[in-house]
Amino acid sequence: GVLHCFLFLPVFGRAIHAIARISDEFWFDPVEKGLALRSVNSSRSAYGYIFFSAMFFQHYCWTAVSQPRRKEKQLSLPCRLIIKSVLPVFRYVNVLERNVEKCSIYTNINDHHITFQLLCKHGVVKTYNLTFQECDPLQAVFAKHVLLADVMIHFPTSQEEVTLSVTPMKVCFKSYTEEEADLPKTMLTEIQLNPDEFDYFQVGVDSEVTFCLKELRGLLAFSEATGVPVSIHFAVSGKPIAFSIDDMVLEASFVLATLSEVEKETASQQPPRSPQRQESAAAASGKAPHRESAKPASPGAKQEVTNVPRVAEREGRGAGGAAPAEEEEEVARAVPGGEAAESRYQKVRRHPPCSRWRALAGTERMLRFHSLFFGAVSCKEKDAVSHTRSLATASDTEEDFGTAPSSQV
Amino acid sequence: MRFRAKIVDLACLNHFSRVINTIAKLAKTCTLRLTVGKLYFILSDKIANGGVSMWCELCQGNFFNEFQMEGVAAEHNEIYLELVPENLSRALKTAQSAKAVKIKLTNKHYPCLRVAVELPSLSSSSRIVTHDIPVGVIPRRLWNDFREPSVPDFDVSIYLPVLKTMKSVVERMKNLSNSIVIEANLSGEMNLKIETDLVSVTTHFKDLGNPSWTSEDGCQSSTQSRDPESMAEARIDIKKLQQLLAGQQVNPTKALCNIVSKRIVHFILLHEDVSLQYFIPALV
Repeated sequence: GVLHCFLFLPVFGRAIHAIARISDEFWFDPVEKGLALRSVNSSRSAYGYIFFSAMFFQHYCWTAVSQPRRKEKQLSLPCRLIIKSVLPVFRYVNVLERNVEKCSIYTNINDHHITFQLLCKHGVVKTYNLTFQECDPLQAVFAKHVLLADVMIHFPTSQEEVTLSVTPMKVCFKSYTEEEADLPKTMLTEIQLNPDEFDYFQVGVDSEVTFCLKELRGLLAFSEATGVPVSIHFAVSGKPIAFSIDDMVLEASFVLATLSEVEKETASQQPPRSPQRQESAAAASGKAPHRESAKPASPGAKQEVTNVPRVAEREGRGAGGAAPAEEEEEVARAVPGGEAAESRYQKVRRHPPCSRWRALAGTERMLRFHSLFFGAVSCKEKDAVSHTRSLATASDTEEDFGTAPSSQV
Repeated sequence: MRFRAKIVDLACLNHFSRVINTIAKLAKTCTLRLTVGKLYFILSDKIANGGVSMWCELCQGNFFNEFQMEGVAAEHNEIYLELVPENLSRALKTAQSAKAVKIKLTNKHYPCLRVAVELPSLSSSSRIVTHDIPVGVIPRRLWNDFREPSVPDFDVSIYLPVLKTMKSVVERMKNLSNSIVIEANLSGEMNLKIETDLVSVTTHFKDLGNPSWTSEDGCQSSTQSRDPESMAEARIDIKKLQQLLAGQQVNPTKALCNIVSKRIVHFILLHEDVSLQYFIPALV
């Protein structure tokens, strides 16, 4: 691939210096979305990663080149550079700031060269030609911090429902089986986590909610692929539980009904039957560019929609490529005393994109925690302008290098 | 009746997982027999299994760092449990990076093997994943059903070809026929044959070598008098053979089979610390 970029120099220079603290060499990975620098020390006890989005550069031009040697077409070109060779280019950052008007970086894989060209004052042009070694991408060899997917992987893929149980001291996910009769035959799995594994953990009161894991798996896979942490909001049994991911350029939210306490008790006392789910109206939404108000139920729907939430618009989102709306699903509020649904969750219908769901916030006794990913992720919204100056983001685009995790969710 | 065991060594854990995965591929339900020094996975030859039987033996010391067992009674210091090996396989599957795995027999509401996996985490305390695998306790009066099978009075004993090769041959043959004929002689030759209305395919292996067996009284086995070129053969269910071969995750140190003409084929796969015997009866 060929990469041309003109960049804001002191910041880039400082990034190189930061990376240099980790190791003598680093990986220079230009990808379509930007430029990633990675480094790992020889004892593999430190790993640094800095990603410059394409927007950081005045001009970023990257072309994919298919490499016949590799099995699949590799869209990125990882190359390994010796820091010592690159540092001189950016050694005196203050001087750079004063004297250098522009810096260009060209790569050409065919002759294994990277060229840094500094256009300085007084017509001076400094060109540094460095050779690099083509290599396999540096994979993150360190275990990611708590990813919800890593927790759920312990449940068999056939596991339908899971109970999340929290106390201020402990977080526990365990398999849930409704039918008492099945219990002696079923394998039950339970995962206990310490609250300090989470980036943010706030539990006011012990709580236990049961939700459908199958419906969540899509979001888990998506979250794992994008590397964005998942936040979980829930209150008490019966009230919905929301799993959301929130990033610069996309957000997603899956809201699931939870089994209500009353039904749980009834179910265990009576002979097995399909209990009603107490539903609160909920909607899963992606970041839809259009804000339509929710349309009424399409004809032929089994249940009547009695209430669909309206959503307050979120302000100040950066433009960024909006992800296409996730599968929109809407769960209708059960008609009181309604007939037994054929599935215990009211059947969902597909709807056109509807306004984003915000009504969960403000529910009393909200319990909320994030999962950690590679260091704390601020939940404050970044505004579109400031992010161009950030040196590091939380995203780790593993999928660019074909290192899709083998975990199944 | 008590049982608790612990594995802390990752290599042992992986090895144990591989054994369990193999067993899980061979039997939907089987018997786990625990003694002071060994574990056995046993499948006895019931009609439900299609007549196949299995005997897999491990030395606990090669896998477990801690192993404590108290049997049903002092003079019968053993425990027999019925379980679904797939459950155990699943429980161990996500324990790849575990700090420790503990297995314990519990009886809270019903008997279970509780597998507790301690995983590393970023916080001060580890992450614990617990799997409760329901088991059935087999009463002592039924223990006779699970005795070690004796080596049959075979006609030919021969080492198997490289399992990978044998597996790919059998897998392809499986698409063409439900049964396969294994024939072999004492000259190290083995043929795998299928025959249908449309096609017959035979794969020949030679120079496989024949193990020598000595009978209990120290004499050479009766196969001494047999014509070395004469083939002993048995027609068996091809799926059972394919399952056996597909389940092998590691190459055995020794792999051989004993053929009783038209009756049964007895496979023996030996690894360093695990031995697996598998009997596939001939089809009538």
